[in-house]
Amino acid sequence: MKKTLVLLLIAALAMGTVFAAGSKEAAAQTGPITLRLSWWGGDSRHTPTLKAMEAYTAQNPNVKLEGEYGGWDGYYQKIVTQIAGGTAADIIQIDQPWLAELASKGDVFATIDSSMVDLSQFDADFLKNYCTYNGKLLGLPTGTNVNTLIVDPAMLASFGIDPNTKWTWDNIITEGRKINAQDKTAYFSGATPDIMRYWFEVYIAQLAGAVVDSNKKVAFTQAQGTEAFTYFKRWFDEGIVAPFSQTSLFYQKFQENPSWINGKMATSWTWVSSMDKDIGARKMETRQFPVMAGAKNSGVLMRPSQIFVVNNNSKNKAEAIKVLNYLFTDAQALELLGLARGIPSTVVGRSVLAQKGMITTMAEKATNEGIAQAGLPQSVYQMNSEVMQVMQDVIDEFGFGKLSPAEASAKLIKNLEATLATL
Amino acid sequence: MHIRKRYNYTGYLYILPWIIGFLVLQLVPLINSFWYSFTNFQLLGDPKFLGLENYKKIFTADPTFLQSLKVTSYYVLIAVPLKISFALVIAIILNQNIKGINLFRTLYYIPSILGGSVAISVLWKYLFMNQGVVNNLIGIFGIKAVDWLGDPRYALGTISLVTVWQFGSSMLLFLAGLKQIPVSQYEAARIDGAGRMRIFWKITIPELSPIILFNLIMQMINAFQDFTSAFVITQGGPLKSTYLYGLMLYDQGFKFFKMGYSSALSWILFAIILFFTSLTFRSSESWVHYGDSL
Repeated sequence: MKKTLVLLLIAALAMGTVFAAGSKEAAAQTGPITLRLSWWGGDSRHTPTLKAMEAYTAQNPNVKLEGEYGGWDGYYQKIVTQIAGGTAADIIQIDQPWLAELASKGDVFATIDSSMVDLSQFDADFLKNYCTYNGKLLGLPTGTNVNTLIVDPAMLASFGIDPNTKWTWDNIITEGRKINAQDKTAYFSGATPDIMRYWFEVYIAQLAGAVVDSNKKVAFTQAQGTEAFTYFKRWFDEGIVAPFSQTSLFYQKFQENPSWINGKMATSWTWVSSMDKDIGARKMETRQFPVMAGAKNSGVLMRPSQIFVVNNNSKNKAEAIKVLNYLFTDAQALELLGLARGIPSTVVGRSVLAQKGMITTMAEKATNEGIAQAGLPQSVYQMNSEVMQVMQDVIDEFGFGKLSPAEASAKLIKNLEATLATL
Repeated sequence: MHIRKRYNYTGYLYILPWIIGFLVLQLVPLINSFWYSFTNFQLLGDPKFLGLENYKKIFTADPTFLQSLKVTSYYVLIAVPLKISFALVIAIILNQNIKGINLFRTLYYIPSILGGSVAISVLWKYLFMNQGVVNNLIGIFGIKAVDWLGDPRYALGTISLVTVWQFGSSMLLFLAGLKQIPVSQYEAARIDGAGRMRIFWKITIPELSPIILFNLIMQMINAFQDFTSAFVITQGGPLKSTYLYGLMLYDQGFKFFKMGYSSALSWILFAIILFFTSLTFRSSESWVHYGDSL
C-alpha cells in the first residue's frame, strides 16, 4: 500500500514537471500562424483594436490574430505571471515603467531594429528615453501621454474665481480657498492620496530636480522636503483639498468619488490618456501646471501612452513585429485605431488622423501644452513600485496629520534610502 | 490478504482524481513555496538561495509585518466571535416551528452564497462611504456623518462586518446541531424547573460544543487568510489600518514581485494558524462535550 502511494506521488510529480516543461517548448509552426495580442483598456480601445486586427487578417489570410483584453485592474499581475509561466501573448501592451522593471529580470522582450519597422516614423529621443533598455530597443510607443490639469470653468466661476487663471503654487491657495470657504463640502482639488503623491513629486521635481535620481540616490534635502510638505499642509489647512479620511476610499480612482462626479471638486491632476474617463459627464478644460521661478525641472511627466512589446518566447517573432509595423504605420490601421491609444506617436499616424479630422481639439491642446511644459523623465528608481509605495505611505501619514512637515521629510528620506539600498 | 489488497486498490482508484489534483495543484506548489521562501525568487529569472535571509528581514526589518500582524489579530478577534455568536443566535431563532420558517432560513443564508465576492465588497463600499447609504440614514436622525471606511479608527470594524454578515454556513451547522439535541433533555429540565437561560447554558451550549469548536476553527483559519473585502474596499488603508496579512502577502508577491519574501511570509502565517488551531484543540478538552461523555 505504501509503495502504491509513493508510486502515485512520483507519477504525479513527474506529470507536473512534464506539463511545466511542455509549455516552454517552442516548436516552429508551419501553415497558418496564430498570434495573440494582449492589452488593457475600455470599449473605446477594444473595438477599434479588434477592427484593425480584422483588417490585418483580411490582408494576410495565413495569420490569425486573437485578442486578449480587459480592464486595467490586475493586468500587470496577469502579464508577469503569464511571462513567468511561458503562456504570455505574442504581442503585449505594457505600461512604460514596466519595461525596465521586467527587462531587468531577463530577456523577456524581443529586440526591434530598423530592418523590421520604419523607426524614422518615431521621435528618436522618445524611443531612446522610454523604450530602450541596456541599449536595446524593446518596444514601440503607442502615443504620447502627458500630465494635464483639468479644471471645471463653470464651477470656478460660480465661486468667484476667474476660470482662465494661469495657475501658480500661490494662487492655487489664495484663489482656491474661496471654494471651501463658501461651501464646506466643496474643494478646489479632487486629489486622493495617490494624486497627492503626484503633486508632491511635481513640487519636489521643481525644487530639487527629482525625488530619486538615476544614481539610485535620494535627490532632495531634508530642508527641501520640509518646504514641500509645509506647502501642501496649507492645502489641507485651507480647504484646497478634501481630508484623506474622505478621499482615501477612492485611492487610484478619484474619478469615482461622488464629490468629484457631482461637481463638488473643481480641478485634478491627470494624464491626457485617461482624461476623458476622469471628466465623464462634466464640462472641463485643460490647463498648464504651476511652475515655480527657477524650477530645476517642471515635474510635468511625458511618456508613451503605452508600449507594445513582442514576447521573446513567441514562436513567430518576425510575424508579430510585422503586425506591430502594420498597426503603427499603415494608413488604414491608423484610421481604424483613431485615438484608442492617445494621439499616435508616428508621423504618419498624426497626419492620417489630422487629415480625417479625428484629433479632438481638447486632446490635441492638452498634449501640445503638456509637451511644451514637459520636464525630465523620471528615473527607473523613482518609478519602482516599492519606491512609490514608500512615498505613498509617508504621504498617507502626513495627510492624516500624523507627521509634521519636518517629520514627514525626515521619514521619507530615511525610508527611501532603506528601500533603495535593497534594489 | 489477497482480497484486502485488491479492495485497497479499488479505493485508491476512486480517489485518484483527488489525489492527482492534490499532488499537482497543492503539494507541488506547497513544496515549491517552501523552497522559494529561502530564495530571492522574483517570478522572472532564476531564484538565488538566501538561506534564512527573508525570515530574518521579516522579523527584524519590516515594520509592515508587525502592523499587518496586529491588524489581522484584531480582525480575527473581532470578526470570529461576533460571527459565531451571531450565527448561533439566528440558528436558535430559526429553530422554532413557525410558519414559513424555511423561507427565513433561505433568506439568512443568502449572504453566504454571495460570499466574499467582489460585488458584495463594492456594495459595502458604497453603503459605508462618506456620502453613502448608512450616513444618509443616520443623517435623518441628526447624527453627523462618520467616515466608516476613511477613519483609521473605524475602518477595520466596518470591514469585519462584511465577514460577520456572512454567517450563513456556521448558522446551518448550528441548526443541524440543534435538531440533534434530544427533546427529552429539554423536557426533563423543564419538569425540574430550569429556566430558559439555564437550559441554554446547561443543555444547548454543551450539546452544541463540538459544532462550536468546528466553527471556531474553520472561521479562525478563514479569518487569518481573509483578503477580498479589504482588498476591494480599502486596499489596506487608511494608514494601513485594514492591511490584513493576506493583503501584505499579495503586495509583496504581486505588486513588488518578491515571491521568495512573500513565500516566507506565507509560511509564517501557516505557523501562526497551526499554533492557534492546536491551541484551540488543546483547550477543547475542557469545554467540548461529545455525546458519549455526557
